[in-house]
Amino acid sequence: MKKRSLLLVLLALSAALLLTSCGGKDAASDENTLTVMGKRTDLEKSYMTSIFQQYEQATGNELEIIAYEDAEFETAAARQFAEGHVPDVFLHFHNADLSRFNVEENFYPLNDEPWAADLTDSARAYCEDKAGRLLGLPFWESSVSGCYYNKTILNELGLRPAATQTEFDTLCQALAETGYTPICWPADGCTWMPQFGLDPIFADDAALLEKLNKNEIGYADIPAVTDMVQWLSDAAQKGWFGPDFLEIGWDAISPALGSGQAVMTFIWDTWFYTDLAGDGKYTVDDFALMPVFMGTADSGTYEGGNLNMMMLNKNSPKLDMAREFLAFCADPENYNVAFDGIATVNCFTGQTTNIQSPMVTDASASIAANERVSTAATRIVGYSAEDVSAALDDLFRGRTDVAGCVKRMDDLRLGEASDHGPGE
Amino acid sequence: MKKRSGKLLPLISICAVLIAAAVIGVIYYRFISRRIYEDSTGHLEEIYGQVDRSFSAFVERNWGLLNSFDAYFALAEETGDADDRAIADFIREKEGYWGLSGFYFLGEDGACLAPGDVEAPAALTATWDSLQELQEPVIVGETLPSGQEVTVFAAPIRPGSYQGFDYSAIAVSYTNADLASSLNVDAFSGQAKCFVIHNDGQVLLSTQTGGNIFENYLLYLQATSDLDGAELAELQKAWESGVSDLIQCRIGNERCCILYQPIGYQDYTLLSVVPESAVSAGFMSVQKTTITVLVILFLLVGAVIVIPIVRSSRTELQYRERMFDVLSNSVDDIFLMLNAKDHSVDYVSPNVERLLGIPAAEVQRNVRVMEKCAVDYNVVIPQQTLTAIPLNGNKYWECEYMHQHTGERRWYRMTVYHMRIQGAEKYIIVLSDRTLEQQMNQKLQEALDAAQSANEAKSNFLSNMSHDIRTPMNAIVGFSVLLEKDADDAEKVREYTRKITASSHHLLSLINDVLDMSKIESGKTSLNVDRFSLPELLDELSIILSPQAKAKEQHFTVHVQGAPPEQLIGDKLRLNQILINLLSNAIKYTPQGGTVEFLISDLPQSAPQYAKLRFQVRDNGIGMSPEFIKTVFDPFSREISSVTNKIQGTGLGMAITKNLVDLMGGIIQVESQPGQGSTFTVELSFALPEQDEQPDWYRQKITRMLVADDEEDICLDVREMMRGTGVEVSYVTEGAAAVERAVQAHQRGEDFHVILLDWKMPGMDGVEAARRIREQVGTAVPILVLTSYDWTEIEKEAREAGIDAFMPKPFFVSTFWQSLQPLFAGQSQPESQPAAVQENVMEGRMFLVAEDNELNAEILTEMLAMEGAQCELAVNGQQAVDMFQSAAPGRYDMILMDVQMPVMNGYEATRQIRSGSHPEAKTIPIVAMTANTFAEDVRNALDAGMDGHLGKPIDMAAVRETVGRLLRPRSSDGGKQS
Repeated sequence: MKKRSLLLVLLALSAALLLTSCGGKDAASDENTLTVMGKRTDLEKSYMTSIFQQYEQATGNELEIIAYEDAEFETAAARQFAEGHVPDVFLHFHNADLSRFNVEENFYPLNDEPWAADLTDSARAYCEDKAGRLLGLPFWESSVSGCYYNKTILNELGLRPAATQTEFDTLCQALAETGYTPICWPADGCTWMPQFGLDPIFADDAALLEKLNKNEIGYADIPAVTDMVQWLSDAAQKGWFGPDFLEIGWDAISPALGSGQAVMTFIWDTWFYTDLAGDGKYTVDDFALMPVFMGTADSGTYEGGNLNMMMLNKNSPKLDMAREFLAFCADPENYNVAFDGIATVNCFTGQTTNIQSPMVTDASASIAANERVSTAATRIVGYSAEDVSAALDDLFRGRTDVAGCVKRMDDLRLGEASDHGPGE
Repeated sequence: MKKRSGKLLPLISICAVLIAAAVIGVIYYRFISRRIYEDSTGHLEEIYGQVDRSFSAFVERNWGLLNSFDAYFALAEETGDADDRAIADFIREKEGYWGLSGFYFLGEDGACLAPGDVEAPAALTATWDSLQELQEPVIVGETLPSGQEVTVFAAPIRPGSYQGFDYSAIAVSYTNADLASSLNVDAFSGQAKCFVIHNDGQVLLSTQTGGNIFENYLLYLQATSDLDGAELAELQKAWESGVSDLIQCRIGNERCCILYQPIGYQDYTLLSVVPESAVSAGFMSVQKTTITVLVILFLLVGAVIVIPIVRSSRTELQYRERMFDVLSNSVDDIFLMLNAKDHSVDYVSPNVERLLGIPAAEVQRNVRVMEKCAVDYNVVIPQQTLTAIPLNGNKYWECEYMHQHTGERRWYRMTVYHMRIQGAEKYIIVLSDRTLEQQMNQKLQEALDAAQSANEAKSNFLSNMSHDIRTPMNAIVGFSVLLEKDADDAEKVREYTRKITASSHHLLSLINDVLDMSKIESGKTSLNVDRFSLPELLDELSIILSPQAKAKEQHFTVHVQGAPPEQLIGDKLRLNQILINLLSNAIKYTPQGGTVEFLISDLPQSAPQYAKLRFQVRDNGIGMSPEFIKTVFDPFSREISSVTNKIQGTGLGMAITKNLVDLMGGIIQVESQPGQGSTFTVELSFALPEQDEQPDWYRQKITRMLVADDEEDICLDVREMMRGTGVEVSYVTEGAAAVERAVQAHQRGEDFHVILLDWKMPGMDGVEAARRIREQVGTAVPILVLTSYDWTEIEKEAREAGIDAFMPKPFFVSTFWQSLQPLFAGQSQPESQPAAVQENVMEGRMFLVAEDNELNAEILTEMLAMEGAQCELAVNGQQAVDMFQSAAPGRYDMILMDVQMPVMNGYEATRQIRSGSHPEAKTIPIVAMTANTFAEDVRNALDAGMDGHLGKPIDMAAVRETVGRLLRPRSSDGGKQS
C-alpha cells in the first residue's frame, strides 16, 4: 500500500509538473525540451545529473525528467509506451525486460553516430542487439563481475588463487578445512550469481542460445546447465557456502567479507567501493579478482558490466535534437567531467577521470582471456534471476534433486517467456 | 546360603572370562595397531624414498643434459660445423627425447630466446636472478604468459650466440603437470600429495591433480594443522638441515603423515603428505579381519560354554511358557501378570487377540490399551485399588468387553491376586470368561420379558377388544330391547335401527381387522397382482374419504406431483387398504377443520419396466409422541391420551398396513410431533404394463390448452403430465387472467382447443370465468372444470354458464382424454342423475340364493323383498346346481352363492353351473356371498367362475352396487346383461 501510495503521489506530481511546464512555457521553449524517462534511482546517479546539468547549461535546452519508482518502473513505462507516450530519450538496461518496449519500432539505431567508435569493445558488445544494431549510448558505471577473493587470507594460508575449475574446487575444500566459509553465497535475495555460471554456456555457443529461445531445446537438453546445478548442489552440501547461506541476503555480504568469515564471493568491483563497510578487518585493498568457477568453464569466466543505455525515440519529431544530446554526452570533455572520481571500468576509450579498480587492473590479462558479455540474463528469453534462484532454493533445501531443479528452472523460464512474449 | 552361592558361581565365572577376554582384546588391538602403523609408515618412507631418489636422479640427469648442450655448443663453435639450423635440430631432438616443454637461450637480464615453435616468455627473470645469485645450476618455478606453470632447470655456460642472440646461460623446462605426474604416487588411493618445496615452505611444484593451489605449505600447515609455532619452527629447521623424518599431525579434520626428505640439490625438500587413514588402509583391513575372526572365535567359545547353561534354564521356562500359551489359547480366560511397582506387563496370554481383538504385544507394551475394549467402565483397575489389595489377597470385579474388530461382547469376572513371585511383587489378573453364562441369563431374561410383554399385550388386547366389542354390542342389544319396546313409534324405530346398523358396522370392522391381522401374522396373506388404473384408484379413495373429511369440515386435498404412470400392475385391493388405513387414520386423528393432504409422486427408478411411487399422507392433527412412534406399527398399540380414548379402533390398522407394505416390498415411514400432525410415507414399486395405444391429440386437433388454477403447482403438474402429448399448455393462476388469455387468443385467431378451469379460485371462480369466456369467445372451445369437490350441487349452474364437463382432481392425462371424448363426439357429459330419480336396479329381480344357514337365508329373503326383488333358496351347492339346470332360461337374473355349504361348496357349484348345458350357464351372473372376505377369497371366487364377491353380513348397498354393475337396467332391455 505504501508503494502504491508513493507511486500515485509521484505520478500526480509528474502530471502536475507536466501541466505546469506545459502551461507555463511558450511554444518555442517546448521545442527546446527533451523528455527523458527512466528509473528514479538511475536518473539520480551523480554522473547522470551532472551530464544533464552540463547539457542544459551548454545548450539552453531543457530536459524534462520522467522518473518512476524502481518497483513500478517496468510496468509504468510499458504502459506509457503502449499508450503512445514514448519519451525522446529512454534509459534501460539491455536485458530481457527491454523486449516489452518494442525495440525495433521505437528505437533509433546508433551505429553510424560519430561517437560509436569511441566505445570500448565490451561496452559496445553489450549495447548491440542480435542483428548488430547499436541500441543506445552506454552512459553508466561499468564493472567486471568475477570471483573476488581475500588475497590476504590466501597468503596467510599459503594458498594461491585458482586458475582452473579443479584448482578452485581444491581451494574451496582447503579453505573449508581451515574453518573459513570459502564462498559467500547469500541465497536470500542475491539472485545474480547463477547467471555468471550460465554465461559461458550461451556466450560461447550462439546456436545453443538460439535453439533455447526458439524452444527447440530446454535447459535439460544442455548438459552444461545440469553440470552447473550439480556443482552448486555439491558445493552447498560440502559447506562451501557456509552453514546458514539460505537465510542470509545482500546485507550479509559486507560483514562476511569484511570480517574475513568468508573468503570469496561472486560480485563486481564497484561493490567494494559502494557497499563494503570500512569498519571491518579487511578493506578493498585486501581483495583481488579471479574468474568465477561454477562447473561450466574450466578456465573460469568474468561477466562484463550491465550498462544502462540511453536510447532514442526514432519516431520523435525531436530525433535530431536527441541525437545531438547523445553526442554531447559522448564528448570526452563532458563525460570525463561527469565520471570524475567515479569507480568504473571504461565504457569510452577516452575515459580518464574515473577510478579504475586495482583489482580489475591486476587481473586484466585474465579478464581479457575469459571475459564474456552478460548473456544469460540479457539474451535468454524468459530468463528471470528470481526464478532461477527460486529453483535453486528448492534444490538447496532438499525439496528437489538436480534434475528437478533444472526442470523447474525451465518451467519458470517458459512461463516467464509466455508472459513477456518472444523478446526482441 | 550355600544354595545361592552355587547359583552365582557360574555367573561370576562367565563375567570373569568376559573381562579377561576384553582386556586381552584391547592389549592385542593396541599391539597390532602399533605394529601396523610402524609397518605402514615404514612402507610410506620406502615409497617416498624411492620417489626422492628418482627425483634426485632426474635432477642429476638434467644437469647432465645441460652439460651436454654446453659441450655441443662449444664444439660447434670451435669446429664451426654446426650452423643455427643444425643447432635447432639438435635441440628439437633433445626436447622430444627428454619430454621438455622448452629450451631457452638466456641472455642479459634473463632475456630469452627459444628456438623452434615453443612458447617463450620475453624473459625468465626469476631464473636469471637465481643464476646470478648462486652462480651455479638452478631449479626455478616460472609462469609462462599463457599461465602455464613450468619448472626450469638452468645453468650458466660459456657465452655464445645463436641467430644473433648473445647468451650466457641455457635452460630447459618441464610443465609442472608433466613433472607432477612423474612424482605422483598411485599408492594410498590417490590421496597422497607430493610437493617440492623450498626450505621456507614455498612450493616449487606439486602433484595435485588439476593444478596446485598451495603457494607456501609451511603457512598452510601453520593455518590448518595442530602443530604449534615451536613445532613448525623445528620442522622448518629440519628442512634447512636437510634431514629426513616423518611426523604426524592433524591437518584440517584429518590426521596426516608428513614425510620430508631433501632432494639433494640446493635447499629443496620433497614433502609428502598422506592421510593416516590412507597409509594404513590396507593394514587396517587385515587388522579388522583379524579382530573380527578373533571376536567370532571368542563368541563361539563363549557360546559353547554359556549356551548349554542358559539353555537348560531357559528351556524349562520356555516349555512352561509355551505350555501355558497353548493352554490359554484353548480356553476363553485371559491371564495377565503385572509388575506391582510400575504395572508394566510381564505376561499376557496370547488369546487376548482372539478374544478382545488386541494383539498381545500391544497389551505387553501398555496394559491400558485394554481400556478401549471396556464397555461400561475403565477395566484397568486404578492403581490405588490394586495397591489396596493386601499381599497374598485378591479381589474381583464383573466386567464386560467388546471385541475391537467383530464387536462381539464378552463378560468376564476379573480376579486380581497380589502375590510375591521370585522375590518381586506381582499382580496376577485372571479374566474368567462368563459369556455363556451371561448370554444364557440374558436369553432367559429376554424370554421372560417377551413372555411378559406378550402376555401384557394380549391382556391389553383382550381388555381393549372386550371394551371395543362390548361397546357396539351394548348398543345393539340395548337398542334391540328399545326397538321391541317402541315398535309402534316409527320415528324411534328408524332412529334405533340406524344406531343398531352403525354399531353393527363398527363391530364388523373390528372383526375384519382382527381376522385380517390374524391371517397376516400366520403368513397366509398373498397378493392379488393385476393391472389397475391409478386415477381410478385415487378416484375411489376420494369418493370414500372425501365425505368423511367433509363431515369434519377438513380440507382434504389429493395432489399428484410429476407424471406418475397411470397404469400399474399390483394388488389394487391391498394398496387401497393401505391408503384407506392411512387416510382414514389421518382424518380420524385430525380435529374439526384440520387439513389432510394426500400426495402422490413418482420416484426415480433404474429399471424401465418398473415404477416407484411415493404416497404421502400428511395431516395437522394430534400427532404422536416419540415413544409411540417407535411402536406405532406394533399390533394392538394405541396411544393413550384424552383424545384417542374417544376414538374407536382396534390398534391393528397400522400393524396391518405395515405388514401389507412389507408384503409388497415397500417401505413405510412416519414423522410426527405431538400437536403438530403426522406424515406417513409409503414407497412402493409396481411393474408397468405394456403401454396402451396413446391418445392422438394432434388428430383430435388439440394442440393448445389453457389451465387456470390458483395453485401454480397444479398448473405445472398438468404441463408436466401433458409433456410429450404435443399439446402446448399455457397456464394462469386467476380466473380473470384465464378470461383475458382466452379472449386474447380468440382475437388472434388462435383459440385454445380446450380450457381447464379450477372451480374454486380466489377472486373469480371457475364457473364465473367460464361464463365470461363463453360471452366473449363463444361456445366453440370446450371448457372443463377441474375440482376435488363434489360438483353435483353446482352442476346445473355450471352447465348454464357454459361448462361442458367436470374432471376430478388430481389431473390425469387418461381421465382428461376420456372426459374430452364425448365432447368431440358431439355429446355433452351426461348430467348426474339425482339418486332419487335413479332406477331401482333391484326392482323385479329374481335371485337364486344358495345359503345353508336358515337365519341368514331368511334375512336375505326379507331384505331382497324390501328392495322389490324375489328369491328362491337352495340349502347347498348341489341343490343350487340342480335348480339352475332345471330352470327355464331367464328364470333367474342372478345367483347369490354362499361358499361354505354342506354337500357341495359354492366354488364347486359355480364350476358345475359354468360347465353345465344350460343356455345361460356361461352368462348368468354368480356372486359369492360369504363370510370369507379376504383377498384370497375374492380371487378364489373369481377363479371358480363367479362374477363378484359380497361379504357377510350383507350390506344391501353393496348388493345394489353389484347388481347395478352386473345387470343392465331393466328399462333398457328389460332383462339382464348379456
